[in-house]
Amino acid sequence: MANPLIDDRLVDLLLRDVLQAERLTALPHFADHGPETFELYLSACRQLARGALASSYRPLDLEPPVFEGGRVRLHPRFGPLFTQLRELGVIAATRPEEVGGQQMPLTVSTLAHTYLMAGNLSVAALAWLTTGAAHLVEAFGDDAVKERFLARMYAGEWTGTMALTEPHAGSSLGDLTTSATPAPDGTYRIRGAKIFISGGDHDVAENVVHLTLARIEGAPEGTKGISLFAVPRLREEGGALVDNDVHVTGVIHKIGWKALPSLALGFGDRGDCHGWLVGAPHQGLRMMFQMMNEARISVGATAAATASAAYHEARAYALERRQGRALGERGGEPVRLVEHPDVRRMLLRQKAIVDGSLALAATTALHADLAEHGPEDARERHRLLLDLLTPITKTFPSEAGFEATALAVQVLGGYGYTSEYLPEAFLRDQKLNTIHEGTTGIQSLDLLGRKVMARGGAGLRVLAEEIQRALAEAEAAGLEEGLRAPLGAALGQLGALTATLGQRGMAGDTLGMLGHSVDYLTASGLLVIGWQHLRLATAATRRLEGGADAFAEGLLRGARYWMATEVPRVAHLCRLCETGEPSYLEMQPEWF
Amino acid sequence: MKILVPIKRVADPANANKVKVDDDATKVTSEGLEWVMNPFDEWSLEAALRLTENAAEKARVGEIVVVSITPGEGDTDHIREALGKGAERGIVVPAGTDEQLDASVVAKILAAVVKKEEPDVVLMGKQAADGDSAVAGTKLAELLEWPVVNYATNIATSDEGKTFEVKRELDIGVQTLKVEGPVVFTSSDRILRPDSIKNGVTPDDFEYADLGDLNSRLSNLKNIMAARKKPIDTMTLDDLGVELGVGTEYVKFTLPQGRSGSAEFVETVDELVQKLQTEAKVL
Repeated sequence: MANPLIDDRLVDLLLRDVLQAERLTALPHFADHGPETFELYLSACRQLARGALASSYRPLDLEPPVFEGGRVRLHPRFGPLFTQLRELGVIAATRPEEVGGQQMPLTVSTLAHTYLMAGNLSVAALAWLTTGAAHLVEAFGDDAVKERFLARMYAGEWTGTMALTEPHAGSSLGDLTTSATPAPDGTYRIRGAKIFISGGDHDVAENVVHLTLARIEGAPEGTKGISLFAVPRLREEGGALVDNDVHVTGVIHKIGWKALPSLALGFGDRGDCHGWLVGAPHQGLRMMFQMMNEARISVGATAAATASAAYHEARAYALERRQGRALGERGGEPVRLVEHPDVRRMLLRQKAIVDGSLALAATTALHADLAEHGPEDARERHRLLLDLLTPITKTFPSEAGFEATALAVQVLGGYGYTSEYLPEAFLRDQKLNTIHEGTTGIQSLDLLGRKVMARGGAGLRVLAEEIQRALAEAEAAGLEEGLRAPLGAALGQLGALTATLGQRGMAGDTLGMLGHSVDYLTASGLLVIGWQHLRLATAATRRLEGGADAFAEGLLRGARYWMATEVPRVAHLCRLCETGEPSYLEMQPEWF
Repeated sequence: MKILVPIKRVADPANANKVKVDDDATKVTSEGLEWVMNPFDEWSLEAALRLTENAAEKARVGEIVVVSITPGEGDTDHIREALGKGAERGIVVPAGTDEQLDASVVAKILAAVVKKEEPDVVLMGKQAADGDSAVAGTKLAELLEWPVVNYATNIATSDEGKTFEVKRELDIGVQTLKVEGPVVFTSSDRILRPDSIKNGVTPDDFEYADLGDLNSRLSNLKNIMAARKKPIDTMTLDDLGVELGVGTEYVKFTLPQGRSGSAEFVETVDELVQKLQTEAKVL
C-alpha cells in the first residue's frame, strides 16, 4: 500500500474534536465555508499528494534543475505538477475573495499543506513561496503595485520569491548592501547580489517576482534602513514583457529539496533593474516580520509532514520485514521487526513527535485565524498565543522531526542507509527546516528575548490558562493522573524560570537571561507538545467510550510516552537555564 | 447537452480487507466501512464533464445532474464531491438499505428520475465495485426503451448530443457504433484516455492531462466553494412512484481466503531468477 503521508484519522480528530474547526464557520469571514468545503479541499490535496506528487518525488530528487544559457530548467515533470497545484487553488486558498482567494481558514490549509509537502515538498514549496510573496504585496503594496503583480501571482501565472539573504548577510539582515536608487519614473534601480533564492528562476511559469530587501540611497544604517521592493525577472513595457536585468549567477548544490532551485542572483548588472517599492521606505524588515508568523508555522508544518512521511515508511517496513526472533525465544520463525521492543520504541517516538507536531501546527494556525478574524474582544488573546507559539511551532517539529526522520532510517537498518528507500531523502530534506525562515538560535532569541517578555509576560499567562483548561478537561474525561501531573509540574517550572530570567533581563544581565535560550526553547517545546498530547489523549479517551478503536489506543500510548519520557526533561532544562550552566559560555574560541 | 450521471457509494475497494459479513453470512455489514464514489461511476463523471465543457477555455457548455440513491437518510457527500468537480446539480434519493437496492430496483428508480429530468444521455459506470453485477445500465435502457452502449471507450458528438459515434474495445478488435440520443452509456476505464471524448466544442487538438491513479479530475477550491451553493434536490420513492421490491435473494456471502505466505528479500537478480525457477516454478 502506498504511503498515506499523513494519517487522515489524526487530521479528522484535530479538526472535529480537538480544534472544533467547524466553529470558525460561524465567523463572518469564514461564513461561506462548512465542514464539507474543508473536507473536499483536504480530499483534493490528499489525492494529489498521494498520487502524482508522491510518485514523482524520487525522480525529481534524483535529477535536480539544470543551469544552461543563463536560465534554469526544472525536471520535466515539475511543470505539470505545479499546474495541478495551481489549478487546485492552493496559492490563494486562504486569501480574501476580492484578491482571488477563497478565504479558507489557515487551520485547514495548514493541514492540507502537510499532505502536499509530504508528497513532494519542492513542488509544493514553489506554490507556498508564491503565496508568501504575494501576501506581502497584498498587505503593503499600493494600488499600482497590486495591479501590476497581485492577480497574476495569486493565479500562479507568475511565481514569487523572498530575496533577503546576501552572501555576507543571512541571519544579520541589517548588514545587507543591495541598493535602490530612485528613478524619475517613480520606480527604483536595484543593484546587488542575493543568495539562496529558492525558486529564483525556472521554466514552469512565465515570470518570477522577487520580493527583495534593499537599501535606498542615503537610508539609515542597520535594520532601520531596509526597504522592500517587488523586482520581476521580466517587466512589462509597452505591452510586452522585457528583460529586467535580473540574472542567475549560480545554482546552489544542496542536499535536499533538490527539485527546487536555490540560486545566487545578480540584480542590475546593466543598471536596468527596475524595482517597485512595496509599502513605506525603510519599513522592509518590519513588514517582513509581520508576515513571518505564517511562514514559520508553515515551516513547522512542513517539518511535521516530512517526519510523518518518513514515519509511515518505517511503520510499513516494520510491519512487513521479518528479522530475528522475539526476545527470549530461540529458533522458530523470524518475527516482524515491529515485534522487537526497541523497534516499537523508535516507532512510538516518531509517532509521538509527528502527532504532537501536526497538532501544534494546526493549533497555532487556529490562533492565527482567530487573531485575524475572530470575535473582536478575543483577538488580542489569540494574537498573544500566536506570537508565543510561533517560534515553538517553527522549531520543535524541525529539531525533533530531524530526529524522528533519522529514526525512520534506523528502523530500516542497512537498507535505510541506501537510496533504494525514501527515508534517507526525507532526512536530507528535513535538515533545512532548522535553518530557513530563522534558525533555531534565532527562534530561541525571539521566544525568550521578545515573545515571552512582551507585555509583562502576558503571552505565557494566556498559554498557562489554556494548558490549565486542557488539564481540567482531561481530568473530567477521566484521564489517569500520570497523563496529567507531569504537565502541570512542567508548566509551573517554566513559569518560575521565566520570571527569574525576566528579572535578569531587566537588571541588564543579558547573558544570564539569554545564554541558554535554546534550552529554554527546547523546554517550551516539550511542554507545548505535552499539551497537544494531553488534548489528543482526551479526545482519544472520549472515542474509546464509543467502543474499541486502535487509533485512539495509539494516541493514548503516544501521550503516555511523552509524559513519561519527555515532559520530565523540562525540569532539567530549566535548571540549566536557571543556573546558567557555564561550560560552553566559558569556552574561549581558541579552546575549540 | 444534459447528462444524468448516477453515482453509487461503495465500500472503498482499496480497503476491501475491512469488509465483513454478518453472522449468518447473508449480508455484508456496513459497520466501519469507508464510503467512496464507485470508481466506475467516477470514470463516467469525468467523461460527462468532458462532454459538457470547452476544456481549452475551461468553460462549462452543458449540464450534468448527478443522482445518488442512498440507503437511509440520504447521504450527500459524494454528490457534493461531484459538484466540486464541476457538475451542476444533484438529486438524492433516500431509499431502503443496501440489500434492498439490487440492480432492478436501481434501474426502476433511475428510470423514474430520467422521466422527470429528461436528459439527453445517461452516463454510468459499467458496474459497481461492490456487487459487480453490471446489469443496472442495460436494465435502465430497457425500461426507458432507449439504446444502450456498454463498456464505451470513446464517445464523440458534433451535434450537441443528437447523435454519437461510440467505440468499444472487444477481444477481437474495436467496434465503432453510431447511435442517436437519448441514450444510455456505460463506460470502461479507457474512457479516461486523453483523446477518448470529442464533443465538437473543445478543440480536437486539446490534450487532457493524464489522470494517473485518479478516477476523475481533482476538485478545485473554486468549484468546491461554488458547490456549496449548487442545489441538491431530494426525491423520495413516493415522488418517483417506485416501490422497493427486490428481485434478488442473497443466499450466502463468503469472504475471500486470506493471502498466505510471506515476503522474502533476495540480494541479487540472479538469486531471484533462480528462486522463481526452482522454488516458485513459474519460469
